[in-house]
Amino acid sequence: MDGIHDLGGKQGFGPVDVDDGEQPFHADWEGREWGIAQCARTPGITIDWWRHCRELILPVDYLSRPYFDSWAQTDFATYIEAGWITLAEVDAGRSLDPVEARPEPPAAMTLEQVLEEDRAHAYRFDAQIDTPPKFEIGQAVRTMAHGHAGHTRLPQYARNQVGVISAQHGAHVFPDLSAQGREIHQHCYSVAFDAAELWPEAKGSRDKVFLDLWEAYLGEA
Amino acid sequence: MPDFDADKVAHIHRELHSHLPSESALRIKALETLLVEKGLVNPQTIDAWVQAYSEEIGPKRGAHVVARAWSDPEYKKRLLADAPAAIDELGYLGKATAHLKVVENTPAVHNLVVCTLCSCYPFSILGIAPAWYKAAAYRARAVRDPRGVLAEFGVELDADVEVRVWDSTAELRYLVLPQRPRGSDDLDEDALAALVTRNSMIGTQRDLGAKRRG
Repeated sequence: MDGIHDLGGKQGFGPVDVDDGEQPFHADWEGREWGIAQCARTPGITIDWWRHCRELILPVDYLSRPYFDSWAQTDFATYIEAGWITLAEVDAGRSLDPVEARPEPPAAMTLEQVLEEDRAHAYRFDAQIDTPPKFEIGQAVRTMAHGHAGHTRLPQYARNQVGVISAQHGAHVFPDLSAQGREIHQHCYSVAFDAAELWPEAKGSRDKVFLDLWEAYLGEA
Repeated sequence: MPDFDADKVAHIHRELHSHLPSESALRIKALETLLVEKGLVNPQTIDAWVQAYSEEIGPKRGAHVVARAWSDPEYKKRLLADAPAAIDELGYLGKATAHLKVVENTPAVHNLVVCTLCSCYPFSILGIAPAWYKAAAYRARAVRDPRGVLAEFGVELDADVEVRVWDSTAELRYLVLPQRPRGSDDLDEDALAALVTRNSMIGTQRDLGAKRRG
C-alpha cells in the first residue's frame, strides 16, 4: 500500500537526532513492549502480516507515536483480530473474563531459556524451488511502476526505475502473499540503483542504493 | 489463525485511535495487564527478554565479530562469504540474522544501512536499534541524502568515495565491516573490539580509533 510507512525519500523531517546514547531502552515501557512482542504472538501470524498491520495504523498515529508504541498498537490490533482480547477490554483496561475462568499464565522463562529462544529465532525464509532465476548478475531490470493496496516491499521511490542485479539470493518467502497467509517462495535479488537516476538533486553522483527485491517486482529493462 | 483482513484491522486501528490511553507508558501497561490477566504472558518472561537485550545481546557482539575479522583473515573471508555461519561460530546467530550480509568499507567505498519501510535490524548481533535508526528523518533521508545524514553524524566523505546505501527491504540484514583503524597493529582482539562502535557497524561512523562509543 502507498502508506505513510513508505518513507524513503520523503522530505521535510529535518535533521536526524543523532544523540541517542547507548542504552537499548529509553524508558521501562520500551523494554516491556520489546518483551511482549517476543513472547506473545497469535497463532498463524506471519512477519509480513504483522508488518502490514503496523502499516495500517492511522498516519497521524504512525508519525507521532514512538517506535515501540507503534509496536504496541500493532499488537493490540493483531490480538483483537485474533480474538485474544476485545475493544471493550481495552476500554476497561482489564480482562472482562470472570476471575474463576482465568487461565494460569505460562511458566516463566529464565534468561538462559530466553537466550536459547533468541537463537531459535534465526528464521530462514529461503527454500529450493524448481524454477530457475529469471535474471542474472549484471543484468539491467526495470521495477514495476505501481504497487497495490496490500503489503509490498517495493518502495515508491524505487518504482519504474532501472537498476542492475548485483546478487541472487535464491527463493525467499514472497511478502505480498505472506501478508495474506500464503507461503510462496520466489527468487529474490539485490538490485543496485544509481542515486543519480533516483533523485533529481543527485546528478553526477556515483553513489548507489541497493534494495532486495523479488522477481514479481522486476521486468526486463 | 488471523483472517488477514486488512479492512478489519484498519477499522480496529481507527477504534484504537480514540480508545487507547493517552500516553505510551499507559498504553503498554494496559497491554501487559490484559495479556497477563488472560494467561497469555508471564511477566517474568518479559523481564528475561529485557535482561537479555540489556546485558547479553547488543553491539558488543557485532564488535567481537568485527575484531575477529580484522585479526583473522580466514575468518574475514568466511564472514564475507557466509555471515550467518561465521557469526554462529561465535554463538551470535539468532533473531533476524539468518540472512545476514556483511558489507565492507574500503578507502573507496562507504556503506550505510537503513530500512525505509519499517525498521529492520540485525537484532542478535547489534541488539536494539538506536532511536534515530527508527525515526522518520533517518528512514526518509538515508536513501536520498546519505552524505547530508552522514555529515550530521560528523562523517565527512571525499567526493571520490562511493556511498552504498543498503535499504533492508527483504529478510536480508546488513552489518558494515568498518576499516581497521591505523596504528592498531599491536592490539589484540579484545582491544580491537573496544574500538568498534555500534554506529560504525550501521555506517553512521567511518573512522574508528578514538575511544568513543556510540
